[in-house]
Amino acid sequence: MIKLLRQPLLWFAIAGFLLFVIDARIVTDRKQIIVTTAQQQRLATLWETQTGAMASPKELSSLISNWIQEEILYREALRLGLDEQDSIVRRRLIQKLGFIAESDSEELVDVAVLRSFYQQQIDDYTLPVRYSFRQLYFRLESDAVATLSKIEGGGLINELGESSMLNAEYSYRSALDINATFGANFADRFPKLHLNAWEGPLSSGFGFHLIQIVSVHEAEITPYNIVQNQVIMDYQRYQQEASRDKYTEELTDQYIVVIESE
Amino acid sequence: MSKLLLSIIVLIFFGSCNESDRLAQTEPEIISPIVDINIRDSEYNFERNAYFGDVHVHSMYSYDAFIFGGIASPDEAYEFAKGGSVRHPAGFDMQLDSPMDFYAVSDHAYYLGIVKEMASGDSDLSQHPVAEGLDNLGDDLNFRRSVFLRFADFANAGNGGEIMDDTVVKNAWDDIVASANRHNDPGRFTAFIAYEYTGTGPEEEMLHRNVIFRDGIAPELPFSRINSDDPQDLWSWMDSNRANGIESLAIPHNSNVSDGLMFALTDYAGRPLDSAYASQRVRNEPLVEITQVKGTSETNPALSPNDELAGFEILPFKIGGTIPIKPEGSYVRKALLDGIKLESEKGFNPFSFGVIGSSDNHNATAVGNEDNFYGVSGLLDSDGQKRGSLPINSSENDSNVYFDRYTRFGASGLAGVWAEENTRESIYDSMRRKETFGTSGPRLKVRFFAGHDLPSVNDAELIAKSYSDGVAMGGNLIVEDAQPISFIAWAAKDPNSAPLQRLQIIKGWVDAGEAHEKIYDVACADRLQVDSITHRCPSNGASVDLADCSIASGVGAAELKTRWEDPDYDATQHAFYYVRAIENPTCRWSTWDAIRAGVAPRDDVPATIQERGWSSPIWINPE
Repeated sequence: MIKLLRQPLLWFAIAGFLLFVIDARIVTDRKQIIVTTAQQQRLATLWETQTGAMASPKELSSLISNWIQEEILYREALRLGLDEQDSIVRRRLIQKLGFIAESDSEELVDVAVLRSFYQQQIDDYTLPVRYSFRQLYFRLESDAVATLSKIEGGGLINELGESSMLNAEYSYRSALDINATFGANFADRFPKLHLNAWEGPLSSGFGFHLIQIVSVHEAEITPYNIVQNQVIMDYQRYQQEASRDKYTEELTDQYIVVIESE
Repeated sequence: MSKLLLSIIVLIFFGSCNESDRLAQTEPEIISPIVDINIRDSEYNFERNAYFGDVHVHSMYSYDAFIFGGIASPDEAYEFAKGGSVRHPAGFDMQLDSPMDFYAVSDHAYYLGIVKEMASGDSDLSQHPVAEGLDNLGDDLNFRRSVFLRFADFANAGNGGEIMDDTVVKNAWDDIVASANRHNDPGRFTAFIAYEYTGTGPEEEMLHRNVIFRDGIAPELPFSRINSDDPQDLWSWMDSNRANGIESLAIPHNSNVSDGLMFALTDYAGRPLDSAYASQRVRNEPLVEITQVKGTSETNPALSPNDELAGFEILPFKIGGTIPIKPEGSYVRKALLDGIKLESEKGFNPFSFGVIGSSDNHNATAVGNEDNFYGVSGLLDSDGQKRGSLPINSSENDSNVYFDRYTRFGASGLAGVWAEENTRESIYDSMRRKETFGTSGPRLKVRFFAGHDLPSVNDAELIAKSYSDGVAMGGNLIVEDAQPISFIAWAAKDPNSAPLQRLQIIKGWVDAGEAHEKIYDVACADRLQVDSITHRCPSNGASVDLADCSIASGVGAAELKTRWEDPDYDATQHAFYYVRAIENPTCRWSTWDAIRAGVAPRDDVPATIQERGWSSPIWINPE
């Protein structure tokens, strides 16, 4: 507090405020400050968020009078043009204007437009080749080989293989997903495996595996209605950028720009 | 003239507003109902999947990261986590072998975006004396260090508030929040809104926490050390956010360099802990970061003399110097012990937390593996010479102590969770119930259950029955009628890392007012048997060739799994148990650096380490 009182800026501000009050009392056409009920509510909510308690009437009145003082100082600062030549204020105002420009785009969702956007960006909505497969795990390669011949002789798959944290079945896994689970390069041999046949052993970071590909899901465009939410999000982001650019462009047309040379 | 221009701008401005109002009132065309099929990931799993992530990385908005040369944005950080590459300030690209499942950019709330603004702006802020030199940091690393220390000292002296321009902070925070929301992709990738609360003790002890938000909404501004250095004030702020529908949790980290304050038995003001303190702490801090680059916080040889593996990646000094830290109050295991002691004596436990790992990387990336570690502090430790993994010519400069600090940093910190699916809700909720584990880097998985009637490990429905008849890691088991208890401990190796060597259960308990700890090896690789007297596995002979860091093949296990009963169990005692899964030895990052440079590894740091994973504890409470 003492440190604060030593700030010349504070004394300057207080002196300025007093002068302003005196001045305002002399001049007849005084400006009006309206503290709306919405503003009062905002102050009360903010107090509650920060302190965890409801503001008492006394606290609320002090919040409001603080706000009025700030508002007066703020308006005076604007009148004196203190906001000019300040890069932080400049950047914040640009950002806020950007939000306004972007918000133009948010409410409108037109299916035809979305579908055409989806077609343009179809790569983003195309799934890579994925595999659904079963696997049996063995610590030793020799056990895997022996089991493979057992299966080929008609053995029961349910009772084969060693228990592990790996699943017995995986559905719709891309090469990236498979490598994340089994280790680098494990999926490299998958394109050469035959549908429904038990094959292997394939070595992984854990040991050895017999693999049965149950189905191969070719690279596939995801139907529009399944990715519709994603398309809406992507489109909104795209449109925000586009409408921001357009807005800037339109504004630029209102100006004649002169770049002075020395 | 200028008034005319102003009027034009005002006209355009209001014109635009009216336009947008009119558009907003237009009825959007009704779109067809969304088909609720997600063919990309049919992986919702009642038995829960392991997901891996990092909830502690810094972007360009952190003052220190920026001063160290970090220019990667939150967007770039999330792109990296999803598998993209990010340019290191020293010019090389960093990329993960496998993408992360979840990620959180957690920038320092104090000075958030301020230093970056000071360096680039022509604002009043950049005229502040503390900003001197920021616009030209240059190649002199000692200068960068001095600027970093200047900012740290400025805050430590209580002056930080002078430069906390709310508008700048708000701009940075809005960008961080928007970036997390943009990159969050339910079912595929989880991006949490987060930040670091960098509270500091009276002697600059680190009381740092990461605050993780559950949903896509965040408070107007983060609560920082400028608001208060007392963690209880942070928790009160989180409590009031929660009352307003904004759910978050805080994860303390670097307790190892808190000099005894993180888990002190008094509060920030020095008062003894009470039940109100405990319930507020537990409500807001269900987890602790057990490992990260600035050392591992599980335990310390001074606290656990009978734990042969206690000396793992220990950072023995306060950050930025050579002052030794006080072990009591700085390590997780001792805090867990103090917690059950308080529980048995006074009926409350402020330290009933689970564990998680993360990196604290200041390059916007997670840490690489030991064999591709690229440092964590931008230009300051970007190569072996700078991070002291190569022999230092001490006559060259006077900063060896600082380099030595980097030598002791570890390539560590990964978060693991057991969750039904990869969404914010599912992963956050697993953190809330502490069904989490931490690893020193590898993606090894640890499961842990306790119960009165758990199935055999060969039961085909092991997991389902363990959930229905017992409690998972992070849970409490109430012992009724002195019934016996058993545990299921299970670990699987990282498919791209070394095999497992052994599985341990660490027990803490209170007997006659005294807290004790004991380490039990419960499963050994290579068909070796645990010695029934020492409770240790015999050596499996796993070795590392220091000429090229290759490891012996055919030694170690892909998985270790056991149903274990405590031979010293006493149903009247308060106790906790957690699992530690140990890999075979591998080269430490500093050894990899030396081999690549063609020199011998330094002999004053370990050449090899045993990577590991820690489960959250299960607490056993007598009825």
